[in-house]
Order: sequence, then structure tokens, then C-alpha cells
Amino acid sequence: MTNEASSTVVTEVACPFCGLACDDLSVDTAGEALAVVGGGCAKAQAGFARLGVSHDGASARVGGQPASLEAACAEVARRVKASAQPVFAGMALDVGGMREVMELADAAGGVVDHLYSEIGWRSTRVVQDVGYVTTTLAEVKNRADLIVLVGTDVVSKASRFFERYVWNDEAMFEPAPAARRIVYLGGGLNTAAGQSPDGRAPEVFDFDRARMPEALSTLNALLAKQPVSEAAPLGIELARWQALADALRAAKYSVLVWIAGDFEPSQVDLNINAIMSAVRTLNVSTRSNGLGLGGADGELNASMVHAWQTGYPMRTSFASGIPLYDPVHNGAARLVEQGETDTVVWISALNDKTPPPPEAKVVIAPPTLKLEHEPEVFIPVSTPGVHHVGHFFRGDKGAALPLRALRATRLPSAAKVAAAITAQLKEVSA
Amino acid sequence: MSVIKLTGGRVIDPANGINDQVRDIYVKDGRIVAALADGDKVSAEYNVSGRVVMSGAIDMHTHIGGGKVNIAREMLPEDHRGDPVARTEITRSSCGYCAPGTLAAGYRYAEMGYTSCFEPAIIPMNARQAHMEMGDTPIIDTGGYAMLGSDDFLLRMLVANEDQKSINDYVAWILHSTQTLGIKVVNPGGISAFKFNQRKLDLDEQNAYYGVTPRRIIQTLTRAVHELGVPHPLHVHASNLGVAGNVDTTLATMEAAEGRPIHMTHIQFHSYGTEGDRKFSSGAARIAEAINRHKNVSADVGQVLFGQTVTASGDNMSQYRNAAFASPKKSAVMDIEMEAGCGVVPFKYKDQNFVNALQWAIGLEIFLMVDDPWRIFLTTDHPNGAPFTTYPHLIKLLTDRSFRNAMLDTINPDAKAMSNLAALEREYSLYEIAIMTRAAPARILGLTDRGHLAPGAAADIVVYTENADRERMFEKPDLVFKDGELVVRDGKVVKVVRGNTHVVKPEFDRGIEKKIEPYFRRFHSVRMNNFKISDDELCECGGGSKLIPHACGKRS
Repeated sequence: MTNEASSTVVTEVACPFCGLACDDLSVDTAGEALAVVGGGCAKAQAGFARLGVSHDGASARVGGQPASLEAACAEVARRVKASAQPVFAGMALDVGGMREVMELADAAGGVVDHLYSEIGWRSTRVVQDVGYVTTTLAEVKNRADLIVLVGTDVVSKASRFFERYVWNDEAMFEPAPAARRIVYLGGGLNTAAGQSPDGRAPEVFDFDRARMPEALSTLNALLAKQPVSEAAPLGIELARWQALADALRAAKYSVLVWIAGDFEPSQVDLNINAIMSAVRTLNVSTRSNGLGLGGADGELNASMVHAWQTGYPMRTSFASGIPLYDPVHNGAARLVEQGETDTVVWISALNDKTPPPPEAKVVIAPPTLKLEHEPEVFIPVSTPGVHHVGHFFRGDKGAALPLRALRATRLPSAAKVAAAITAQLKEVSA
Repeated sequence: MSVIKLTGGRVIDPANGINDQVRDIYVKDGRIVAALADGDKVSAEYNVSGRVVMSGAIDMHTHIGGGKVNIAREMLPEDHRGDPVARTEITRSSCGYCAPGTLAAGYRYAEMGYTSCFEPAIIPMNARQAHMEMGDTPIIDTGGYAMLGSDDFLLRMLVANEDQKSINDYVAWILHSTQTLGIKVVNPGGISAFKFNQRKLDLDEQNAYYGVTPRRIIQTLTRAVHELGVPHPLHVHASNLGVAGNVDTTLATMEAAEGRPIHMTHIQFHSYGTEGDRKFSSGAARIAEAINRHKNVSADVGQVLFGQTVTASGDNMSQYRNAAFASPKKSAVMDIEMEAGCGVVPFKYKDQNFVNALQWAIGLEIFLMVDDPWRIFLTTDHPNGAPFTTYPHLIKLLTDRSFRNAMLDTINPDAKAMSNLAALEREYSLYEIAIMTRAAPARILGLTDRGHLAPGAAADIVVYTENADRERMFEKPDLVFKDGELVVRDGKVVKVVRGNTHVVKPEFDRGIEKKIEPYFRRFHSVRMNNFKISDDELCECGGGSKLIPHACGKRS
């Protein structure tokens, strides 16, 4: 509600800079850069400020020399056409960008891989192995009575989680938000946000987070009423573990929260499976749900569009003319390391901080992306939610938010660039 | 200008009372016209003499887009491996049998002569995703029904005894905001009850928190939809899905509509008795008798066919229960955004399993015992009873009694003994098949320019070579036209076009937003203005689909 009188402030703006996609931002468009003046967080302020400029003067480059957009797209098409196995990586895109990249990847016989897929495919393996019982953020906001944060503080990646969904002024059902019980599983976490508005400290199970599988095994054993022989699993006396199990059983709507990217990569599916086991045990007698958060850098935009168009999750190869899913084989980093790709095309419209791998010969990204060395083709693109409208899937899969166009630019969107390359590719083929 | 002539076909067009008459059909700029005007030049003539001509088929209940469908896709890579769709010069690659990608779904529907499909369970907050997925489903027209009945906003209105007009305004606002064609209720109030740890909710049982019964929700929403003049009656997935003895609930749910139009969906799953040694029996005769008697009631069947599939439903209360029967053993159950939920459970229907075999028979019994083909619709509740690609096989079961009885002889013998299917002599005619797959769905959805071949209709036209084997005939049409464009020849896509999105825009008082906006601000996860989908945004979600609004005749 800040500065609504001022005509340069746009309200109820959705933010594409983390997986929470908060949609209560007020953004002042008066200055050279966009300024978040209401709602938002440090990440949102920095993102809108850094990317929210018109990028005047940015132009495409081929071989380090300025080139027209058309010539640059034609050059990418030529390289992709000549490639034995193109890999499209990065993928920090909105839904529209991903839709067009999918068409390009299919036409090119490539592989599509998001920058978080190394974690993401392990998460997806849980739904392929056992499935899940989960909830979404509006349910948490109104129903949660006991929130267990499993190996994550959430706020390092999604800073407004507690502000927007836990410590609310009111909830539709009991208990009052301030009475919610917060438990952190794992040490070394920033637990400040878990303190209730009336000063109640959260409960912390302080142990080495690399030992999360043991912690979850202990909890699962107690929930299943199986004996645990150790007096103090992970150095925490058994009575505390038992009290947590009892609290989960007594809770009416407990929520076990994780962020896959906060787990040891090799433990991602193991830990989520164990969380699901606890949730399933609890649901025999009460209600309990998992809540996987994530979704930064358009991770869900990429995974959702990929799944609905092709049927398969990411890390599917289109090389043979039919989709072939193999999440281990088709990882971009592995293909690069093993020399199984000759062309990496990095496409990222939302993220201008993660450097592309040195093997990326083509980089399609905001002009603010700092490049360690000049790629063979660089095409600057605009950013969804800043320069053009689009859609962004929130990390809980509960909503897709509409993104606004707040700043004019002459730069094309990633979707437009991908479509132009596809069109050129088909011309080359014809 | 494009002018097409289909010459000499045997036209079956029940909406216009035309049964197998030889007629020429003219198409001008995507529409059927009575005759050519002076100066019109035929740009393409197709000699279809001796062949059967119908309008494009319409699937009024098929889960093709939205969150739960996408969970099913991600869950089942093993489903997809055997069913790839290869990239061609004009089509893209995709895959999947029971949970196909949108591209595969669009191509396959068109290749079977379907030109319009409707997603029946759009959670309002998930409407964008549903429209995006349908927008990426090529060739066919799409649309959907918004799910209400377990949303906290409506339940709070009922508790507050708000008047019917306010409820009608809210329902209309949901239709506008989600860009949908109808309203669906799933396990009325039950999805909310599950969040309060209730595990079943009968028609007259109270939600533990709100005290509201499913009956009251049915009464309120059938009335709202009727008074707003929305063509499609309230689309009802009744309480107690899949439970033995639920036939009583289903019959009582029909009565709860109090004579107002009501559409009972996948009624096969709601037609179970408790007779016999296994306490599971067919309630088909009672259901069919009730439909025959109540002219306000229509139903789609949700036929079960044997094989692997996946069940995807908004009814998370039932799907949590059904997860015990998952095959392969996995399931996803979600509570969603104070509005609804979903449950995805893979399932394998086996012809030697007593319950599955009887489910198969019950569906066919309902088809054959409901007299009026205008009020019974051909669906498998894709993919819940079987994937939509089984429709030609289902048509053969309905049109060919000897084939049906031969199949009946192969199923679980106890199930066969419990069914009266062998005694049912009815064989559906081509005219009746055209009613239940074209004319009737268009009429019940209010699609005035689809499902028929009179002048003014959109030129969604299918040409078949008649074959006594109806499965062969319907699985591979000779020609399919979508809005006048030839899109399929000999059962293969030859041109990819973009379908339209069908919606309704009933009149209502925008003042209702004064109540809705603060509710969003206080309790929801998004702001009201970011929940609503504008016309422009819909077209963007749909990848450029054209929006077709259908008229509502307000009744209050």
C-alpha cells in the first residue's frame, strides 16, 4: 500500500527472484532502475534494481563483434544444426521462455537441463518411487499448528516465508498464528525467523545436517512405535525425539518443510522419502503434510512445462526423434565432463549471477551477466516480470503468478530469441 | 478466402435430425454454409461419397490439463516408454499412454476425430496452469469446469447464511476469474472435511468445522448455476466415490438437486451396491431407472476398461483411501490453497479381478439401460477408467452385442454371474453414437456452433469409411477438419492448428469483489487481482488461443 498515490508506483507486483513469488510488492518505476518500495526483500530489491533498467546499448555479439539479432540467431541455428548433441542449459526462464526453448530443443534433437536439475531429478525420483502427501502455502498460512523445518531455515532461500505464511496476524482456523510451534531439525541454521512474535524461541535439534538420514530414521522409528536403542541419537537425548514424535501425533495439521537444495545432494531422495514415510504414518490417525519449497530461478517453470509438453521430466534427450528420459545420463554437467556434447547453449533470463560453464559457446542472458570469457555468440535478453509479462510457478506448486512488464526495453525476450532460432533452424533444414 | 466442398457423404447430424442422408457440405472460411454465393470458387473438393460424415467429436469430461495431470506425468516414466510420439516435419515429439504429454494428447484426440475436449476439474488457483497445458494441446478446442464446494470462501458464505444472490455473484465471479465453462463440485465439502481429518462424508453428514452438509452444497450450487443461466448444469462428482453401497448416495444426490438440472459425472464409480458374498454388486439398474425418470439428470459414465492406467482426481479424501490399491505402489495426495485438493493413484484394472470386472460390467449396463442417448455421455473419465484412446473399443462394445458378450465370457466368472449384461440386447446405432459423442455434449455445454453440421456451425467435420468393426472405423477417420482446415488424413495429423478456448461470462454484480478482496488479503497466498485471469492473459496462457464466450440466459 506504499505510495499508492504516486502514479509511478505499481502495486501487487509478483516477484520472480525466488521460489516464493510474493505478489504484494510495490515497485516504483520513476527512476532509471526499478525500486521496490513496499513488500519485497533484499533479493527482490537487488533483482529489480539490477535488472530493472532499459539495457540501452546492449547488443548481440558474434565472435565478440556486435551483430544484429537476426545474424546472431542464425549463427546459433547453424551451430545447433551442426552439433551432434546440443545441450540447452541454464533455463532460468518464465513459462513462455521455456515453452519456446522446448520447441527449439525438440527441433534440434537436444537435451534440456535446468541449473538445479542435479537436485531436482532426485526430488522427482521420490514421486516416481513412492509419491507424496503435501500441502501448499495458503493451507500452511491458515492451518499449520506444528511446523518442522527439516535441514533448512527456508529464509536463506525464501526470506519472507515466516512473514507471509507463519507469523500472520490471523488465520482462518485454530491455533492463532502466534501460538504455532516451530521445530528445526539440524544445526547451523539461521533460526531467528522461527521466533514467535511474542518472543517464544523455536525448538532446535542441533546436529550435523549431513546426518539427516539418521535423524529421520530415529523419528520414523518412534512414530512407528519401534524401539530405538541409543540413549541419545545424534547427541540429543531420546526423550526429546520422543517428545517430537508425540507432538507430531498430537498435532492436527503438522507440516514438514524441506528445500531439496539444502540437503546433501546424495541424500536428497533418501531424506524426502523419509519425510514422506513420517507423513504417511501420521496420516493414519491425524493430518500431516510435506511442503517442499524451492522453485528459484524458474526451476518449476522449466520442470512443469517440460513434463506437460513431453510427458517426461527434464533430462530427456530428443536426439533420436522421440523423447528418452534418463536423468543420470542426460545431466548437462556430465555430458560436458564426458565430452558427450559439442555445443552448450546457456539460456537464462531471470538469473544474471550464475556464470555459465566455460564450455558454453552460446550465451543468451541479461546483459548484466558477468562473463569470464567471451562466448562465440552472446544474445542479450530482457527479463520476465521486469521487462515483459509472463508466468512464474511458485515453489510449492500451489500457484502460477502473472508477471508484469514494468520497464520498457528494446531487448527481445528469451522466448522471442528461442523462436527465432527455431525458425532459422527449420530454414537451415529445409 | 477458402471454400471447401465435401461431396456425396452420408451425413449423420442428430442435432438437425439428419440420419444417414446423402448431402454435400460447403465450408467457407471455417464455417459451414448452405450453398455457395455467386463468385465463390471451390478451393478444395473432397469426394466422400459412400462415406460417413459427422461433426467433430466432443469429450465433455477428460483430464487433460492442470496440476494433478502433470503430477501423473512426472510420476509415471514407465508409462511413457512404450508410447512415444515421434517428431515429424510438422509435429513435435511427446509420449505417454495413460498420462500423455499435451502434444501427444492433442495429436491423438484429433487423429480419432475429436475436435473439442473439456478438463472437468480446474482448481481455481490452478486455472492458469490448466489453461497453459490446454494451450499446449494442439488442434483441439478446450475449456474447463472450475471446482467449488470445498473452498473455504463458499463454506463461510453458507455458514453466514448469505443469500443466494451473493452466492450466485461469487460463482459467476469464479467463472469469469478462471475463464471456465462450468462449475464442478467434487465430493461436495469432503475435500475440506479431509483437511479436518474426516475420512468420509455422506450426503447429510456435517463438515466437522463448518457444519455444512454435502446436500446443502449441491442445493446451493445447482441453484446458482441454474439461475446464472450457465448452459452446463452443475457437474457433480458425488460423495463416496468407489465405495460399495454408494448407489444410495448417488440416487439421493440426484434428488438433492430438487428438480434443477444436474450432471452426475463418472457415474459408474458411484453405482455400487452391497449385495452378494463379497458385498459388492451392480447398482446400474437403479441408477438407469432414476436417470430415465428424472429428466433434469444427465450423466457421463466413466467406463472402466482393462489395463494399466492412472487415476487423477480432485477428491483427495477418496484418493487417500484408494492409495492402498495403487499399482504400481505409489501415490500423490495434496491439499491445495484453501480451495480443494488432488490425488493421483496409478491403477491396473484386471479382467480376472472380481471388483474390476464388475466395474467394467456396471459401466456397460448403465450405457445400455439409460434410454435417452442425449443424457448419457461416452467417457472413461480419462485417464481414471481408461485412457481416451480406448474410445473406439468402447464404441464397439456398445454397438456390437456379440463382441460384448464374447468379452463378457472372458472376465471374472463371479462378476459375470453378478451382472445382467448378457441379457441386454441393445446395440447403439451410429446415429446414437453421434448423439452421445457430438450433438448431446455440444447441447449440454451450450456450444451452439459445435457438434452439428448446419449452416453457421464451425467446420469441425470428420469423415469415416464405414466398417462393421466399429473399433476400426472410429480409431482412424479418413479426414478430420478443424475450423475448416484439413488436420488429419487417414488417421494421421497433416496440419497442426491452434484450437479455441470456450468460456461463459454470466452477468453478475461486481460488488461481490468488496467481500472477496479482503478475504484474499487476509487468508489467501496471493492478491485477488493476481488470481483473476483476464481475457488477454488467457490468450497468452493458451499460446494465442481464440476465446469463445458462450451466452448465458439469466434466470433470476
